[in-house]
Amino acid sequence: MPSTFHTCEREKLFLNPSSKRFGVPELQKLVKPFIDSFNSLLEPPTKGILHYAIDDIGVMEISDVPYTSPTKGNILKVWIEDVLIGKPLLPENVRAAKSFQIFPSECRERFKTYAGKMSIKFCWQVNNGRVNMEIRNVGMCPIMIKSNRCNLQSFYSKQLIEHHEESEEMGGYFIINGIEKIIRHLIVQRRNYVMALIRPSFANRGKSYTEYGVSIRCARLDQTTMTNTLHYLKDGSCMLRFLWRKQEYLVPVILFLKSLVETNDKGIFEMLMLGDFENTFFSDRVELMLQEFKSYNVQSRGQCLSILGEKFRIIFSLPSHYSNQRVGEYVLKKVLLVHLNNNQDKFNLLIFMIRKLYSLVAGDCCSDNPDSPQNQEILLSGNLYGMIAKEKLMDYLSSIRTLIVADVNSKKNVDFNNKKYLSTIFNKPSSDIGKKLSYFLATGNLVSNTGLDLMQTSGYTIVAEKINFFRYISHFRCVHRGSFFAELKTTTVRKLLPESWGFICPVHTPDGSPCGLLNHLSYSCRIITSKLNADRIPIFLSEFGMTIRPLISGHKTEKNQMCIQLDGKIVGWCSHKNAKSIADKLRFIKIEEKIPIDIEIGYVPPSNGGQYPGIYIFSTSARMMRPVKYLANGKTDMVGSFEQVYMNIACLPEDIVEGVTTHQEYSPTNILSIVANLTPFSDYNQSPRNMYQCQMAKQTMGTPSTALMYRTDNKLYHLQTGQTPIVRPELHNTLGLDGFPNGTNAIVAVISYTGYDMEDALIINKSSYERGFGYGTIYKSEIIDLGEFRAVGDPIHHQFGLEDDAPTSWREKLDNDGLPFIGAKLTTGDPLCAYIDRIKGVTKIKMYGGSEDAYIDQVRLLGDDLGKDEVQKVHIKLRIPRPPVIGDKFSSRHGQKGVLSRLWPQVDLPFTESGMQPDIIINPHAFPSRMTIGMFVESMAGKCGALFGVAQDCTPFKYNEESTAIDYFGEQLLRSGFNYHGNEPMYSGTTGEEFQADIYIGVVFYQRLRHMVSDKWQVRSTGPVHNLTMQPIGGRKRNGGIRFGEMERDSLLAHGMSFCLQDRLMNCSDFSQCHLCRECGSIFTSLSLKTHHKIDSNRTYKKHHIQCDICNTAKWITLIKIPSAFKYLATELASMGIKIILDTETK
Amino acid sequence: MEPYTGTINSGGAKPEIKIDELTSERVKFILTNTDLSMANALRRIMIAEVATIAIDMVEFELNTSVLADEFIAHRLGLIPLDSTEAEKIKYSRECSCQGACKECSVELNLHVKCTEEDTTKDVTSRDLVSNDPRVTPIQDGLKDPGILIAKLRKGQEIKVKCIAKKGVAKEHAKWSPCAAVAFEYDPFNKLRHAHYWIEDDEKKEWPASKNAEKDFPPGDDEVFDFTAKPNRFYFEVETIGSMKPEDIVMNAFKKLLEKISSVQMGLTTNDVNAINREPPREF
Repeated sequence: MPSTFHTCEREKLFLNPSSKRFGVPELQKLVKPFIDSFNSLLEPPTKGILHYAIDDIGVMEISDVPYTSPTKGNILKVWIEDVLIGKPLLPENVRAAKSFQIFPSECRERFKTYAGKMSIKFCWQVNNGRVNMEIRNVGMCPIMIKSNRCNLQSFYSKQLIEHHEESEEMGGYFIINGIEKIIRHLIVQRRNYVMALIRPSFANRGKSYTEYGVSIRCARLDQTTMTNTLHYLKDGSCMLRFLWRKQEYLVPVILFLKSLVETNDKGIFEMLMLGDFENTFFSDRVELMLQEFKSYNVQSRGQCLSILGEKFRIIFSLPSHYSNQRVGEYVLKKVLLVHLNNNQDKFNLLIFMIRKLYSLVAGDCCSDNPDSPQNQEILLSGNLYGMIAKEKLMDYLSSIRTLIVADVNSKKNVDFNNKKYLSTIFNKPSSDIGKKLSYFLATGNLVSNTGLDLMQTSGYTIVAEKINFFRYISHFRCVHRGSFFAELKTTTVRKLLPESWGFICPVHTPDGSPCGLLNHLSYSCRIITSKLNADRIPIFLSEFGMTIRPLISGHKTEKNQMCIQLDGKIVGWCSHKNAKSIADKLRFIKIEEKIPIDIEIGYVPPSNGGQYPGIYIFSTSARMMRPVKYLANGKTDMVGSFEQVYMNIACLPEDIVEGVTTHQEYSPTNILSIVANLTPFSDYNQSPRNMYQCQMAKQTMGTPSTALMYRTDNKLYHLQTGQTPIVRPELHNTLGLDGFPNGTNAIVAVISYTGYDMEDALIINKSSYERGFGYGTIYKSEIIDLGEFRAVGDPIHHQFGLEDDAPTSWREKLDNDGLPFIGAKLTTGDPLCAYIDRIKGVTKIKMYGGSEDAYIDQVRLLGDDLGKDEVQKVHIKLRIPRPPVIGDKFSSRHGQKGVLSRLWPQVDLPFTESGMQPDIIINPHAFPSRMTIGMFVESMAGKCGALFGVAQDCTPFKYNEESTAIDYFGEQLLRSGFNYHGNEPMYSGTTGEEFQADIYIGVVFYQRLRHMVSDKWQVRSTGPVHNLTMQPIGGRKRNGGIRFGEMERDSLLAHGMSFCLQDRLMNCSDFSQCHLCRECGSIFTSLSLKTHHKIDSNRTYKKHHIQCDICNTAKWITLIKIPSAFKYLATELASMGIKIILDTETK
Repeated sequence: MEPYTGTINSGGAKPEIKIDELTSERVKFILTNTDLSMANALRRIMIAEVATIAIDMVEFELNTSVLADEFIAHRLGLIPLDSTEAEKIKYSRECSCQGACKECSVELNLHVKCTEEDTTKDVTSRDLVSNDPRVTPIQDGLKDPGILIAKLRKGQEIKVKCIAKKGVAKEHAKWSPCAAVAFEYDPFNKLRHAHYWIEDDEKKEWPASKNAEKDFPPGDDEVFDFTAKPNRFYFEVETIGSMKPEDIVMNAFKKLLEKISSVQMGLTTNDVNAINREPPREF
């Protein structure tokens, strides 16, 4: 239990940061999936993702004769031999630099992209001639901070501070134009596992299609994927569906089976039946399917491949000299079960898929739930980055081909031996992959020809906001279900499933539209980032009783056999009886570390209509795993989300059932995310309150960064008087959260006093406020770029500065260089900076437009990349003080938010016998319906902590019915002379009289939320109106009004306040007047005429006179008051030939 | 309404103070023979209306520290200054001068620059140089390191001019001379003002107050006297250092007397009669 505040240790860490280790190593682990996945792009000594990618892209062959030509022509082969990404460096032509390294802080401060040079070894060869090679620069590609391409990689606290970073900088993000961007984790279908699906939409594919299907998402070594779906047709046959360049293709599965290996119908039939020949459901369908395929009239493998090749030749745009068979093989390689290399393996798995599909249709097995973490994995940021890079490299090669083919078709002179021709061709297509990657990171939009087997095209990246540390760290722990599901009307995808126990936090999800789609990883959940070595697994399995082929007794294959799959490859078979012991033995040697601990052994037992049985072993990356204790030997076992479903893991020691339970949780809090873990005594609260707290913790004004000096964020919130909470869970220390204080320990009295604490309002002690309680500051950035004032290409003719003619009022704020003094106070309309237009010779100023007073905190001069030109860009950091004012939002750590309603004088506040006066008063009515008992416990714990000068542990699930928290803290209070239950007699501050009731008073950690009235107040008497309806516009920024809506109207009607109603909806809104002819009832027919009256022979006078154009008289004209929206309605109707007649009466 | 006939002391006997403990930081005393309103008034005055000196205006000449100007100014304001002689200094608003003069203000200067290479330099209240020897930042002996204001790295510098003024805590908490004023009456709840919440056992849940030792426990057969009024008040005043605790109490008494006499002065005999004659207003 933490009883010390570790003040001295923390002080030491700050004063003497270590150059060999981190102060809080635990933090580094949290972003590991990001960094490791980026590192795996090019990780030596084994191949990186990008190396596998260029292998997969392969050699592109281009012919110099048209497609229809009978001759082969010359063949140009192009390929990429290698990919290199350098560390971020200055351009070579910079002369004055001391060091060529660029560090992230410079990119942040100068609003640049932290990028390294990417280059490829580009090779080409003409007709088996000499291989030519050149290194091509393909742009500056963004580098993840603290990855193996980052200049900070090997740095520890001391060096990090020297380079203007946080002492515990974790990295994991990119810097694009100075903004920190994260590729966020996405949930995708588990790779290399055949999933049974029942989807009504499957039946929409065609007349004979049904809702049944099985689907497998196959992953290549370069982490790109290809989904194959097998559809069940009404007649019992199967069609295989795949996507190629966003186009859907359906192929009879028998065609694939027959093109994979040389086999015959009998072979296929036997494989599919697996000895179970009595099963007429299967045999009928297999027979039919095989019979149907007879119509193609093909027998051999070669014939089948030819058919495939013939059909797909154009789609895959392969050169004409490829034979159909070769094209067919190419299709198999590129499309079918791409996680396997061997055709026999592909064949076996395809058979398995058909069997699973038939079982599903027969009802022998149930469908797999795609929304369950059991069937999900994480799309890692580095993997997605690699996928995009691969596609862009591939696009480069394809565009070379497209150019040459276009030249050939337009009969241009195509000569592969002409170096000049080739170099123009090679240089023509855009090869700036860095730019495309930067665009992806900046916008989150995926521009792709293939779609990358993903379900969305935007929303991949988010800004790593530094509102406070909780917000920041949560970005790295969040997983999104995908924006496709956000539009879905059904709520099934959002449900919290028991399968997510220990992997996805049940508490930490926002309420509202992203609820259940935006989740956070549990604290103990790890994501595997590399492919593990599983070579020895088949050997071990054989030892334990696996057979390579299904067992045959006599001439028949034995029934009741299940297959064992390793990463989607069938490695062998075993009987139902044996399966459990094989799985158990394998698990045991895994814990004994004979095979990697992160391997997942999913044993699905045979059942009656349950999940399709088998042993599924996974060793690939992107899986969610978590540590639990293996009871047999007390060692740590890593458990995956697939296998967990069939395991018996006890939560607490009392949950262990002898002979059944194999594992135990290390801590019941491991199911919670970081932020949810930090809610004190959350096990005492009503669960929605804990959800609210997770939201509010992330909106708290706190300490966004310890390197505030070097931050240029658009907006930063900072609490000046942050404290460490007295009541904190263990994790608070583990994660070193004292480095980022987030609130204040406040003396809180729960009492209904003065009435200013009604409806969740809170009263703050005026003296506490004066001593700095909740004092916050906002930092805002202003960038002034003089380049914007001139056209591109024009010479520079602006400079920062003040000419002699500048008025003295400017000189109060600005120095001679045109830049403001540090510490100068700006109010609306003050000059922010001044610049001279050298052509016109005048000084202009840029005004400060904010409505609040601000102080100049920092001024940064931002030069250009080469350091040659004069300064054209400055960054001015403004500091806006935000002391708490009435209307600002505060909250405890229990979802109990409230608004400051009054600063109450200290002397008038109630006080205890020891003279304590509360900092905050809240109303007791905040508790009965919300049931945040945790807050009461925190209050008691905080009081004890303050009395004894120790930190109190508030980790959830530490207390139980036998030893309650109330007793624990009550005893401590009693010992210090306080009431056992945390109550105290209190006296009225105004009269000095003792209250009749004793008051619950204690110490609660309060957070100040970033929602402040200064950002929200809206007031208007008159102002801008909409130019069509003439009604007031909305929006605070535009000085608009607040909508007086239907419900407000209803309440006025109910009160009978008709004058008020007319005032709001008519007089203060779109009041207008117009002329009406009472005879014809139209508002459009009145015309203004001038009549000339003769006074005498010389003089006439003109008189305006309004009359109805239809009735031809002014007799019935009246001026009426109508809303101008009504006039507009009448006009719109008139334009459609509908007349409005107003029937009027005179009173 | 019954005319108010009471005096400051209830029951004829003169108010009394018995001092239990007096240290440089605190004074514990028992006030007897007076009204609750008087006792509470004393408490309120000690907290909010005993005048002290505190820094009120800060003029920044140079601040290259990491802390913002307003933040340092706020910290400076909260530093307790020796206010023993506060009486001899005028309130700024009562002074005839325009801004600040010797009569109504004290100037303190702070100029610290860090020149050390590897360590940070602490700027403390000891670095404040006052132009009036009577009003200096408090210091508990020569070894007292002073109150930390800011920390400086090499090359950083703070140069400010502070104007300290006289004021009361009603206006701003920095002028409060005391940290807390403990106040209690009737530790045995004989008056039954309070109605304690008891879960099972009163003795186990409600430990007796320390002041109970000095009070008279109720007899076993004592009858509840519903006319009884509190007249024994236990005080404990803790100073923040700007004044001696006894001075706080004495100044508070002075202030209280001043207030009462000003009320007395304001009320002529006619007013008193008028008050007594008029029926109470109904709202």
